[in-house]
Formats: sequence, structure tokens, C-alpha cells
Amino acid sequence: MSLFAKISKEIEEKYFSKGKPLEKMFPLFDALDTFLLTPGKTTKQAPHVRDAVDIKRVMIFVVLALTPCILMGMYNVGYQMSVAEGLEYSVLACFGAGALKVLPIIIVTYAVGGLWEGLFAIVRNHEINEGFLVTGILFALTLPPTIPLWQVAVGISFGVVIGKEIFGGTGYNVLNPALTARAFVFFAYPAQMSGDAVWAAVDGFSKATPLAVAAIAERGTDAVEAIQNAGYTFQDVFLGFIPGSIGETSALACLLGLAFLLITRVASWRVMAGCVIGLVAMSLFFGLFKGENSLAFFSLPPQWHLIMGGFAFGAVFMATDPVSSSATDAGRWIYGILIGALVVLIRMVNPAYPEGVMLAILFMNVFAPTIDHFVVQAQIKRRSARG
Amino acid sequence: MAEFQIKKGKDLKIKGQAAKEVVELPFPSTIALQPQDFRGIKPRLAVKVGDSVKVGSKLFIDKTNEDIAFLSPASGTVEAITRGAKRALMEIVIKTDGNQDAEAFATFRAEEIARLAKSDVIKALLSGGLWPAVRQRPFSCIADTSAEPKSIFVRAVNTDPLAMDVDVVLEGLEKEFQAGLDALKTLTQGEVFLCTAPDAKSKVLTEAQNVITHRFSGPHPAGNVSTHIYNIDKIEKGDTVWYVEAQDVVRIGQLLLTGTHPVEKYVAVTGEGVEKRYYAKTIIGASIKDLTAGSDLMGQRCISGSVLSGKSVGADGYVCFYDSQVTIIPEGGDRRLLGWLVPGFDLYTLSNTYASAFVPRAEYSLDADTNGGERAIVCNHLYDKYVPLDIPVYFLLKAVIANDIESAEAMGILEVDEEDFALCTFACPSKTEVGAIIRQGLDVIQKEG
Repeated sequence: MSLFAKISKEIEEKYFSKGKPLEKMFPLFDALDTFLLTPGKTTKQAPHVRDAVDIKRVMIFVVLALTPCILMGMYNVGYQMSVAEGLEYSVLACFGAGALKVLPIIIVTYAVGGLWEGLFAIVRNHEINEGFLVTGILFALTLPPTIPLWQVAVGISFGVVIGKEIFGGTGYNVLNPALTARAFVFFAYPAQMSGDAVWAAVDGFSKATPLAVAAIAERGTDAVEAIQNAGYTFQDVFLGFIPGSIGETSALACLLGLAFLLITRVASWRVMAGCVIGLVAMSLFFGLFKGENSLAFFSLPPQWHLIMGGFAFGAVFMATDPVSSSATDAGRWIYGILIGALVVLIRMVNPAYPEGVMLAILFMNVFAPTIDHFVVQAQIKRRSARG
Repeated sequence: MAEFQIKKGKDLKIKGQAAKEVVELPFPSTIALQPQDFRGIKPRLAVKVGDSVKVGSKLFIDKTNEDIAFLSPASGTVEAITRGAKRALMEIVIKTDGNQDAEAFATFRAEEIARLAKSDVIKALLSGGLWPAVRQRPFSCIADTSAEPKSIFVRAVNTDPLAMDVDVVLEGLEKEFQAGLDALKTLTQGEVFLCTAPDAKSKVLTEAQNVITHRFSGPHPAGNVSTHIYNIDKIEKGDTVWYVEAQDVVRIGQLLLTGTHPVEKYVAVTGEGVEKRYYAKTIIGASIKDLTAGSDLMGQRCISGSVLSGKSVGADGYVCFYDSQVTIIPEGGDRRLLGWLVPGFDLYTLSNTYASAFVPRAEYSLDADTNGGERAIVCNHLYDKYVPLDIPVYFLLKAVIANDIESAEAMGILEVDEEDFALCTFACPSKTEVGAIIRQGLDVIQKEG
């Protein structure tokens, strides 16, 4: 037994095992203990051997996949400040200024989210699930950099408690908890979550996101032209040097995360492929109706839809959450395609919300069990028909 | 004959393959029969400690069908009868005398076996102690003598990790194997299917008569009975099929031809925990100690069967009735520092989350560590990759947990056994005991009829 294992065992026996003063706090001890050392438990029944992978590693890999988005987000928050102030920041200064805005949001999310997670684990006497590491960072990255920290705390509390814990915790939730949290703050505090003034962390400065530009462009005009007239090039939007929520602006960062998730096979490629197909098909379909009197949005080609707003971020990191998505292969295709289609639908024909990704995914979260039901029923029918 | 290419599944790259050479071990000093090997029976002892027994003496019978008898594989004296929790009968240990004096049973000539009536064959197998070798689906218990099996499957292929190549040990047993097959054919109106590996060479298998031979290739579970049944003769609610291991078919033949309770058995001694690995020629109920002669078993997990579907019997344990393999692996359980962070060149995984997935080795050392804590199921897309049957595993699991028996049956639970889900359990990052949950469901259905 290694030195660490010995120390951990001593602490456990002294304070946290049954009948000891901190018995109830065991889940907290367990979380820290198994963070440092693997549990070291052996199998009780067949199969006697088990794969080296566990949920801790899976969840941490999702967080690793988010690193490009986190770094790019920090940089871009600083960069947008420099644009707003009309000053030239160095790369490092952009990054530093952004980190000062972003880190408090992440810290508050983890602290408050972790508190709830720990509380429920203690009351219910189960392990702390590593899923909250992913939920916390996902939520933080979907927020505008100017959001008041107390709203971050309220939002993540809602997401963890209502979105997840009341269903029984990670693995049993219907909705993606990070998106639930975001939807809550989006509707509860619209002034701090939407509009043109929230994206740059400089008082009194407002700048419309490319999505907002496309949404308000005059009927019959070309949306791409409108976006470019507002000063956004395709390259800027793709790389993410545009106003928007912290982690979602860079399609490139999302692509890096996507590559990591696919190489490690942590997320389902079917959902992501479905999202892209749905989005492309739907935007091409709307493109057929562009004309003098149609919304300018109709003229926006699919490649712009793919890189604008939260689509890339949502499709790669939110829609693929295995718990709240479909659990069958066929279901995953349907689920993904419908998300992609709904994103375009909400963006184009619902003037109230220029961004449709959050609502599209939440909506399909609700429908995922229904899709699965029909896929499984079809399989059962096929079975009974085989004779 | 057809060849079935199984695509879903995985062969685990685990160290400890046995050499394909048969070693005749010294006659074991003690052997044991373990009533727990026989699913669903209620054992009633027929002997007490100190009784002397012959080969073929009744050790215990099944209370629910008193015709089913479990006979002693050796002559000697009953040394111990051990009981476990709730006084469940665990082991009947016999101290052998080496003489192998045997009870006599009815004998038949090879030519007449195929013409025997079903009832005569059943009677011969019941009295000769080989009826327990015939098992049934659904439920994987000893076959119900009054049932009409749709077909009978003989399993001459085993794709479990480090499993025995049964082709090797059948060599020279043509007559007995054929007699066994002929006897099985009398038990069903349908066919007897002989399922072999794609490269089966032994004449015993390739020239078997009175059966339909099918070959199964591909990764584990290509050799599982469920895979064979699913591909050849699917079962629905109300259907019953029977299945027998190839070595037991030989023993059925030997019983009918010689009139003595046959006890000879080949067992593969495998796993990195033993130095000498071979195919041991021994008898039913041999002990782990005798099979692994001389190896140090301290800190090792001793499994009767394979790492996927076997049973941990301990260093003092005995080989289970149906198993033809023992696997000795390190027990493990050392706590590794920052397991979620290490690159893991030496850690075996079916996922792509360790370096070993990208720089693969030929084989890996696997111990009995769970490699993680239990969590709620998150990666629900993994299971279907390892089950080559038309079954939505995740949803079947949910149906069983919710006690929704009707749905579970509709999804095909009656076709399967817990061993079919061993790879799912292996691969699950949440460490969900998939097979054990399926078994609970089967038990509930069997109990409620």
C-alpha cells in the first residue's frame, strides 16, 4: 500500500467511517479521496476484470475537450473589451483582462454548483458525481461576460437542483442541467442575458452580435452583406473574434474540442452529424423562399449558420450529453437532425430570440425519450415479426 | 452447414493463454461437487460425512424433481459437507481412494442408441447422473425432463478470454461423441445443432453425423450459446431449447456405451497468476490446488471459468460442474495516484481514453480491480456494441430495474443469459453490473412463471 493510500485509510477510519463524528460527510471525503487515488475496490462477481476507464475520466475528458473554448473565450472577452474601449491590447493583455472576467464566473459556478452537489450527496448518501464538473464549466461558458455573479449563482443553483437533482441526480435527468440553468437566467434576467450591451465588459458599450445583425436586417436585403457591413468577416466569425457568450464564439475552438471528443470516442458522432445535416437542410430550405419581401435571414447560407451563435458549441458539447439525448443509434440521428432544423427555425421565424440553439436542444431533450420509445417499439415489432 | 460471422463483440487482450498441450495430472486427492453450480435446484443430501461412496453414488438430489441425481465423480469417503449463508449447501467434499470403484448402469450398443425412445434416454441420463449436463433456455437451468425442446445445441466453441480450444481435447473420442449426439437426437423432434469454431479440424467435429454443423467466427461472444440460438433457431415466449457442452456430449456417450458414470474432464489452466499453463486431464470437481500444482496462489483471484463469466472460488475451491477452464489472475486493488490523469500505456481499455488505445500491446495484465467507482449509467451508447443479438440492452436494463417484465420479455430477455452482457459490464465506465441485473430479471420471470 502506498503512503497516500495509508494516510487516506487512517483519515477515513478516524473521522469518516461508520459511527465516527464526520460519518455524514463521507461523500465529500470520498470525492476528494478518489480524486487523488483510484478507489482500489475489486470486483465481487463476474466479470472479474473491468475496463480501465471510469466516469471520472470520461467527465474530465469532456472538460479537457472544452479547454480550447475556455482559453479562446478568455482571450476574446479581453479582445472585445479592447475593441469597446478603442485601445490596442497586446495578446497577453487581452487574455489577462478576459481571464479576470471569466475566472470569477467559473469559480462561482463551481463553488455554488459543487455546494449543491455535495449537499445532495450527503443527504442522499451517494457519491458525488463528476458530472457537475462538466455542467459547471458548460454553464459558465454559455454566459455573457458581463453577467452579475449573483445571477451566476442563482442560475447554477436552478440548473443543478431543478434540472438534475430532483430527478435523482446525474444519469436520471431529462434536461441538460447546464442548459436548464442558462434557460433560467435567460428568461429570469433578460436584461443581463440578451440585447446588444451585455457582450463586452465595458460599461455603456453596445454592439450587436452577427446573429442579431442578421435578425434585424431589413426585409429583402442580403443577410451576409448586412453582417459584413457591421464589420464581421467570415474569418472573424469562424475564429471567434466577435461579441457573444464566453465560450461559444469560436467555431474553431469547438472544432478542436470536437476532434478531441471524436478521437477519444467520448461523445456520439451521430448526434453531431445529425445537427449539421438538420441545420444545413433547413437553412437551404428557407433559402428557397428568399425574395424581396422575405426576412433577410432567409438569404443566410448554411456555412454562416454553422459558425454563428452557439450552434457549434451546442452541437458539440450540449446536444451530445448522453443522458439527456436519445439512447438509440437511430434515435440519435433523428434527435440531432431535429435539433439542427429547430435551430434554424427558431433563428429565422421567431424574431424574439435570434439565438435558437439553447431552446432547440432543451426542446429535443424533452422529446428524446419519445423518440427512443418509438425506436425501441420498432425493434420489438421487428423481433416479433421474425417468426 | 453455414458459417456465421459475428461482428459485434470483443476479444479481450488478456495475458495468460494456456499452451495447447494435454498434461495428465496425478489423480486428485480430494474433489468436490458444488450444488450451487446448478441453477434453480433445491438440493437434498443423500450422504453424510464419513459415508463411503463409489463413482456414481448419489451425493444429493433435487427436491423439486427427485429423479435428478447428482453423482459422485470418485470413490472414497465423504470428508466434509460445507454450508454457506442461510445454510445453503456449498460443497460436498470427497476424499478419494484412487480405486474408482463404480456403480453400474445400463449399457447400450453404439448402433442402437439412435433408435432408442426419448423416455429411455432420459431415464438412462437421469440414473447415470448426466441429466444435469443438459441445460435449457430460457433461464439456463437444468432441462425440464417433461419439456419438448424445439432443438438442441451442442457447444464445441468457446470464445471466452483464454478459453480452451475444445477441438484439441476431443481428439480420438469420435465414438463416444457420436454416441452422445445420437442420444441427444432422440430427445428432440427438431434438429441437433453442432456449433464449432471456424477452424475446427478434429474429425470428431468435422465428421459428426446425425447433426447440422454450423461454424461461428468473430470476436467473443461468437461462442456463447445465446449467439448460436439467435442465429440458428430463435426462441420466442413458450419455446424451449436445450444445450450441452461438447465435453459433456462425450460423457453422455461414455455413460451409454460403458454403463459407468463418466468423470474424465479436460480443464484449461490459464491466467497470468499461474506459471505452468496447460490443458489438464483430470476428473469432475478437481480442486484449484491440484490443477495449479505448485503455483503460489496468495493474492491471486482463483476463478472457475473465464474472467468474464466465471465464478471466484478461492484458492481452496473446486472447478464448477460446467466449467472447462480455471483462470488465475492477480487480485489487484492497489490504489493508483490520479487515475483520471495518467496516460496509461499499460492500462487496458475498450474506450479511447488511455494511451494504450493508440499504442496497443499484444496483451495486457488485468487484475480484479474495478478501476473506478459505481455511478449512474451515463454512457448508454456503449452496450449495444458488445451484444450481437437484436436486443436494446440499455432499455432492457431499464425495464428490468423498473420491474417491467412484459417489456423485458418483448425486448428478448428470455433469449439471453447474464454471460451475454459480461462485455457490457466490462466496458461500462459507470461500473454497472449489467449481467447481474439481467439475471435478477430472469429470476423474477422464472419464479412468477
